[in-house]
Amino acid sequence: MSEILAAERILDFCWVGAGALVTQTLALHGADVIKIESSARPDNLRVSPPFRPGQRDLNGSGYFASRNSGKRSFALNMKHPRAREVATELARVSTIVTSNYRPGVLERWGLGYADLCPDNPGLIHLSMPMQGSDGPHRDFAGFGSTIQALAGLVAPSGLPGRTPLGTNTHYPDHLPNPGHALVALLGAIYRRDLTGQGAELELAQFESTVNMMGPDVVAASVTGKSPAPHGNALAGYEPRGVYPASGDDRWVAISAAAKDCARVVDVLKERAVEPPSEDLEGWLAAATSRWEAEELVERLQAVGIAAAEVLTTAELLEDAHLAKRGFWRRLVHPTMGEIVVPGLPFQLNGAPIADERPAPMLGQHTWEVAESVLGLTRSEYERGVEEGLFQ
Amino acid sequence: MFAPLEGVRVIDLAGQRGAYTGRLLADLGADVIRVVRGAEPLSDVGPHVQTPDGTTVSAFELFVNLNKRSVLLDAADNEGLAALVATADVVVHTMTWDELADCGLDQATLSRIAPRAVITSVLPFGADGPRSGFAGDDLTQLAAGGLLCLGGYPDSEPIAVHGGQSDLGAALVATTGILLALIGRRHGRHVDQVDVSAQETVAGALEDAIPEYDLTGVVRRRRGDRAREAGTGTYPCADGYVAVVAGRMGTAAGWAALTTWMVEAGVEGADEVASEVWLDFNHRQLPESIDRFEKVFAGFAADRTRERLYEEGQRRGIAIAPVNQVHELFESPQLQARRFFVDITGGAVPSVRVPGRPYRVDGDTEFVRRAAPIAGQHTHEVLAELLDGDNQRSRA
Repeated sequence: MSEILAAERILDFCWVGAGALVTQTLALHGADVIKIESSARPDNLRVSPPFRPGQRDLNGSGYFASRNSGKRSFALNMKHPRAREVATELARVSTIVTSNYRPGVLERWGLGYADLCPDNPGLIHLSMPMQGSDGPHRDFAGFGSTIQALAGLVAPSGLPGRTPLGTNTHYPDHLPNPGHALVALLGAIYRRDLTGQGAELELAQFESTVNMMGPDVVAASVTGKSPAPHGNALAGYEPRGVYPASGDDRWVAISAAAKDCARVVDVLKERAVEPPSEDLEGWLAAATSRWEAEELVERLQAVGIAAAEVLTTAELLEDAHLAKRGFWRRLVHPTMGEIVVPGLPFQLNGAPIADERPAPMLGQHTWEVAESVLGLTRSEYERGVEEGLFQ
Repeated sequence: MFAPLEGVRVIDLAGQRGAYTGRLLADLGADVIRVVRGAEPLSDVGPHVQTPDGTTVSAFELFVNLNKRSVLLDAADNEGLAALVATADVVVHTMTWDELADCGLDQATLSRIAPRAVITSVLPFGADGPRSGFAGDDLTQLAAGGLLCLGGYPDSEPIAVHGGQSDLGAALVATTGILLALIGRRHGRHVDQVDVSAQETVAGALEDAIPEYDLTGVVRRRRGDRAREAGTGTYPCADGYVAVVAGRMGTAAGWAALTTWMVEAGVEGADEVASEVWLDFNHRQLPESIDRFEKVFAGFAADRTRERLYEEGQRRGIAIAPVNQVHELFESPQLQARRFFVDITGGAVPSVRVPGRPYRVDGDTEFVRRAAPIAGQHTHEVLAELLDGDNQRSRA
């Protein structure tokens, strides 16, 4: 843990997708992230697969564990009449409040930026509504997969004439939206450290994702046209595609500028049965299948051609390069046992993330936070538990 | 305008993989100087557009170089490069250590001329490890990071997502690292290296696929347009496709609202999918349920457009969205109401439209200070500033 953000305390109402990854990055750089959740309405990820066989409970989701490590869990039932008072007190002693609820939910609880700012003028308040807090579609609902369709990312991804594919994941939740939110949030921290001024940040997930289509937006504004589905091909590149290697469902991705095509052909000629033909793609696929994937990648890389094995999740976890860089973290979770979670894709001063705190169990840190942050006595805390406040 | 990085100098030497980093820092107010040697390498990156006089211009370049200044140096001008790097708080590049040394920027020189600078490398496999010298582009990065394995049709090869996502994504991640370094510097923590791996950027964005293998041993592979659950997938309609999440991960009301709507519309088979057994997501995840729903929904959607399904579906509480073409975004009532797109004049193309800032700060949306420069547009201006700085230092 770099401890760069050791001065930050985050009151975290983020749940499910994009928001959880924002606050996980902050936690892994030293911030105290207090995740507000409740067994009365658990984070949907806590009930989402995968689970280890026989461990399907609120603390057993691998999906949840992969994006909440390093955080503290504070069980607070927001439906309890005293919950808002507790949350407001936590907000007063926090530097950042985060949420990805629909517009208006935090404001209804008196936890909007305007409510909290007077007592905490340096506060940074991040909300991540799908479409923004205003406009005719402000209340529309969505998930990563619908946002990427809306933003134009799905239509050109796939083969011509077939159903378009996108990423086949909720991609905007995993990279574009946490990424842009972190840029805004860290920019605001930088400003606050200089001036003391807080900030109200809004990341509309639709708009953030449209930025990942920026070059095509610029082009469409001039030409009026959109990119068509193009498989793995790209203008100016030949070959560029995914080709079969020896074995069952083994593939190699190869990408060469057209001027480098001969270098690829020269390597593949070493084992090809037929000489290169007019149908270059067909010839390539026949030629590549005579190679082990790893061997072909090494040979092409040796002549400066971009090539990589199409790695499966099983292979990624065994990947020697990622292991050397310390990317995967093997954590011990109180009920799940040993689990693997990703680190962060950037290293500061050559150090991978070494934080060993797994995702919290629901409410694991309620007493700890109640005592150390809110200054409650044990009996006050126990009364809260009995009343269903800390639940 | 939210410009907290005013006064921070960034020297941007990045290729396609890291060029968006400088753009994001420039939007935050940094003085980002794009330094190109010989020619702007981004000019080759598609998509391309034509100017009125017939010149071809890279739309990628117009997008990522917005708000930057551009200095053009001779390809062999290592001294000029070093003089600029010496002024940097941040350097962003996409070179291996060997390639840096070829430009006269070996590690020892860098730490001598720019001891306080945050040197940021954005590489396919990161700056160290056995594959650190490997070449890479978006396709191979998606392969090495595991997202390519999840994309494509079951009867096709794996197929990548459009748009250079691993390049833009790695650049986004690099920006996070740089901002942490700059914050750390204000707290007395010296960070002089940010090492970004595009492979790791992708490997960290695989949804539940890693824990799925870790906890259950199941290796997730491409499933094409096959829905994972009835009501959650991409479905054809009158004028294209819609993406729907009305299953277990959808809104609370989603499934019931969708089936009620289909029953009201009198669609054949709607009564069946609206029946009680379908309320259980385990039933909806059976292969035959997925097929059956697809047929019923096809009958419902065949004479309904994307827009109609979107507007009415959303008002009924269903997470549904059109599969938009990029140019259709300009007509989005939501984006229009939020005045999202920004028209920019004065660049290589007389007028282009760019997406608005991906975030708002204190309700402010302004961020454009200058159009993407023509390569070398600010060479004289920046070199004059350098000389001026030298003169001031020598007088002092």
